[in-house]
Amino acid sequence: MGTEHLERRVVVSGVGQSQIGRQVDRSGLQLTLDAITAAVADAGLRLDDIDGLATFPGGGAANLPGYANGNLYEVQDALGLRTTWRQGIVEGLALPFYGTAQAVATGQARHAVIWRTVKEGSAARNAGGRPAYGSTKPVAEGPLAWLLPVGMLSPVCQVAPYAMRYMHEYGATREQLGWIPVTQRAHAALNPDAVYRTPLTLEAYLESRMISTPMCLYDCDVPADGATAIVVSAIETAGDLRAPVRIEAMAGVVEGRPSWDQWEDMGRVGHGAARAMWERTDLRPADVDVAQLYDGFTIEVVWWLEALGFCSTGEAADFVDGGSRISLGGELPLNTWGGQLSGGRLHAGFGHTAEAVRQLRGEAGERQVDGAQVVALGNVGGFEAGAALLTRW
Amino acid sequence: MDATTGIPPAVTEETAAFWSAAQEGRLVVEQCTACGATSFPPRGICRSCRGRETSTAEITDRGVVYSFTVNHQRWLPDLEVPYAMVLVEFPAHPGVRVTGRLRGCPAEETRIGMLVDIGFEPGPGGQAIPSFIAAGADA
Ligand SMILES: [Zn+2]
Repeated sequence: MGTEHLERRVVVSGVGQSQIGRQVDRSGLQLTLDAITAAVADAGLRLDDIDGLATFPGGGAANLPGYANGNLYEVQDALGLRTTWRQGIVEGLALPFYGTAQAVATGQARHAVIWRTVKEGSAARNAGGRPAYGSTKPVAEGPLAWLLPVGMLSPVCQVAPYAMRYMHEYGATREQLGWIPVTQRAHAALNPDAVYRTPLTLEAYLESRMISTPMCLYDCDVPADGATAIVVSAIETAGDLRAPVRIEAMAGVVEGRPSWDQWEDMGRVGHGAARAMWERTDLRPADVDVAQLYDGFTIEVVWWLEALGFCSTGEAADFVDGGSRISLGGELPLNTWGGQLSGGRLHAGFGHTAEAVRQLRGEAGERQVDGAQVVALGNVGGFEAGAALLTRW
Repeated sequence: MDATTGIPPAVTEETAAFWSAAQEGRLVVEQCTACGATSFPPRGICRSCRGRETSTAEITDRGVVYSFTVNHQRWLPDLEVPYAMVLVEFPAHPGVRVTGRLRGCPAEETRIGMLVDIGFEPGPGGQAIPSFIAAGADA
């Protein structure tokens, strides 16, 4: 395969996170600055080396309280940077480093940082419960105009009919899906930064309250406060970096009818991105040592396992059943930091990417997968989709 | 019937015809004047032939539940739960899938493949929202 692929001209050089918790009583700006300074130090760089700055989503693009934090210009001013490339991404974030990698690979920046800061845990506490998606705006616009008026007031309501359809077509059961949160909670117990670390049993999963059938409480990720920053650097700077990680392949594909209500079959949402990603590498699913798969909801993990080719369509519920394959020590350790289900909803693959980098460097502590060489990322739910392979330097 | 709690839709150039017909209890979708294809939601362009001239067509057929969910969570202060929501398809109109509430049967009896009649009910912002009625049979 050609080294002309632009993602091979860059590396992920640093990851950094603020304090993470169900609630962290500091402003979004302070969490953001903590994460960026940590990520730049982690890369072995100085803040003055940073010339590209990006965030998801762009300022003010919030459909939920606490969803968007840190203004691009405020952060640049606070850190005293000079930038040659900036991006606030509201739509099209297939992978956290998708745009930054493109910018650095094409010479628009040499060391670019992207951050994602959430204060959704505090927002839920302040509202007395998880607020409706879209409740920050007086009317529902665009695709939401067909969902919020009829009572599809949260992404869980929106994904639930596709989970229902999947279970109907393939015979998948809640008893099988439950192994995803149970296994990820066991991984979270080994991650001191995870939001929930006490063991979760399959019985507790099955008895937990229903949110929107068939998705119960433990099928949903946990609103959290925290910031994650990721630094992408030009590959020719590798000698200056502490512990770079390669981007072997990445792709972002949106096809079909991209909305929560019109997808022909949301179970296939990641298939296009995965196929495009595998076309950019000689590696195969059997080469993957660790999987970091987007888990806004358990069913999205099922779909990513199939999209990336770890099992065939309709077989992922069998794949996760019992938890042995997806546990540490299993054939495909899954969401080793606890994922968004237990580690906290850091959102949009930022927590997953930070963990992928730590695993490839051998810096994942008690949850380290021995000799991890290749990590697969399957990212975003709903109708956006990105897939990537990160590999050891 | 009391209006259901929710967030009202923004009514746009493309969607005004849908919400106005909804007030009369009628389901209208976009139809291409060139090729006759029907589509939902309205985009002001045909998704089959990309023709820019469109009109509206009313659907009166029974629909089939593609899938559903029963929401139990009170996302808004006055939201009454639980309630069923259905994604409904119309075999004679391949480009059309409409999401709405379901009434006419207990929420827990909702099933994939059940037949539903078209209906509307008072919703947020003075709009009428799709509210399908269980027809007591499967497709
Ligand atoms: Zn046409």
